[in-house]
Amino acid sequence: MGCNIKRKTINTIIYHIILILIAIVTIIPFLWTFSTSLKGQNEAVFSFPPQFIPQTITLENYVTVWNTLPIPRYFINSIILAVFGVILPVILCSMAAFPLARMEFRGRQAIFLIIMATMMIPGEVTMIPTYLIINRVGLMGSYAGIILPGAVSAFGIFLMRQAFLSIPREVEESALIDGAKVWQIWLYILLPMVKPTIATLSILSFIGSWNNFLWPLLILSDPDTYPLTLGLYKLQGTFVANTRLIAAGAMLALIPILVVFLFFQRYFIEAAYSSAVKG
Amino acid sequence: MYRSHHAWMFLLIPGVFLVVFTLLPAIGALGLSFTNYSIFAPVEWMGLKNYARILRDGEFWSAIRVTIYYWLLVTPALVVLPVFLAILVNRDVPGIAVYRLIYYFPVLVSVVVTAMLWKWMFQTDGIINYLLSLFGAAPKSWLTSKNLVIPSLAIVTIWQGLGYYMLFYLSGLQSIPGDLYEAADIEGANFWQSHWHITFPLLRPVIFFVAVVSTMSAFKEFTLMLTMTNGGPIGASTTVVFLVYEKAFGELKMGYASAISCILFLIILFITILNQRILEDDNSV
Repeated sequence: MGCNIKRKTINTIIYHIILILIAIVTIIPFLWTFSTSLKGQNEAVFSFPPQFIPQTITLENYVTVWNTLPIPRYFINSIILAVFGVILPVILCSMAAFPLARMEFRGRQAIFLIIMATMMIPGEVTMIPTYLIINRVGLMGSYAGIILPGAVSAFGIFLMRQAFLSIPREVEESALIDGAKVWQIWLYILLPMVKPTIATLSILSFIGSWNNFLWPLLILSDPDTYPLTLGLYKLQGTFVANTRLIAAGAMLALIPILVVFLFFQRYFIEAAYSSAVKG
Repeated sequence: MYRSHHAWMFLLIPGVFLVVFTLLPAIGALGLSFTNYSIFAPVEWMGLKNYARILRDGEFWSAIRVTIYYWLLVTPALVVLPVFLAILVNRDVPGIAVYRLIYYFPVLVSVVVTAMLWKWMFQTDGIINYLLSLFGAAPKSWLTSKNLVIPSLAIVTIWQGLGYYMLFYLSGLQSIPGDLYEAADIEGANFWQSHWHITFPLLRPVIFFVAVVSTMSAFKEFTLMLTMTNGGPIGASTTVVFLVYEKAFGELKMGYASAISCILFLIILFITILNQRILEDDNSV
């Protein structure tokens, strides 16, 4: 019996060692960058063997990045893009999903099928015409050119429709009898009932918007309008490219994602599951 | 109770968005692929000439080879490794939620930051070479070597995807009744036997799902190449979509690039249909 318990303890220890090792492999790139961002100007960034713990830990890189590079500007730009990049898809997708889930009308099935069919078309295939359309409607260089093309997705409509379908009929019937307007039913009765799905769609949109790199790269030319991703990408190649500073910039870009992730963990997992539907 | 004009009222604005930014571009891609459109020059109808040229274009076949190579490295790893990761974290021990969060986090990191983190990892005097040197291996130039660049990028993709696919396996595992394992335990099955006979057969639909999703994303990948290697060295990491990007926005050959993207669409469509066939066969058994 005693032997058995001992074996169990050893197994548990091995189990935890494996978990920790995998965790270390997962976060080593972050730790390394974090360590670089704390190194002083006199310390070599790259040395053999690599120095994980800086000789002197300093926050001066963060201060320098924040004060001398346009990082705060990029940060604000990213936030502006994210706010619109979340609000528009939530409103527009739940607008389209409402009649598709709750109303009977001629052509409903056909419209739903067309929308679902567009999910099969990868964004990589429509990239060039989308670019040309943005150019043609005069949105080049503007945030609208980045936000509008992604505002309505078949996937978002599908997600919201599924949520609306799960609400019992009686809910809106009584409201309609009481003389409520259709948009009031949508806004005050149905939307509050699908809050978890709204959270899921918001999170997916937020990650998509915060990490969006390709479209800002294609559309924006004025450095003052760059979001953080594009700003960091461009900074890497310039003469200010001091590795410690770029590392500090990368860390700053990670913070919002990390904070949102820690606060809304539950929804992130939900969002991951539903995002797989679109493949 | 509702009138049909209510329905159209709600569909109108989102519908316009879908038409302008999804439906039109889809038709546009096909249309452009029959022209020599290049923004500045007058447009000329080319018929199928673009397609004929692509099939004789060495760059295109090189991109196909690179994409398939990348896919062959990434997908098997992302199908197999997350299963074990999910088995590991599918236990009710204190702190397990923290491990799950750590494993999942790389999924959320933007490609630009990912590229920075890993460029430093792969640097000649970086950590990976240092670790290898402990085993007596000579330092390698990972991202600038023709032979190592795709395996290096695959490592980054696997690192980033593990936690994502782990979640799907985890939910698959949690739907397997625990008494199956207890029964196996009583019968004297060891760890490998019980997973081989219980876990893997019951996870089959999830395994298949992960294979399809990771295949699709491998075939569409290019921003990782754009940020880490710019398709190089000498095209060694130029995937199909990267080639589309380069032709369209680098050389402004929009017509030609559209034709390549239409071929990519056919490949992806083929995978989708194949996947549906297999699923149907699976259900009929």
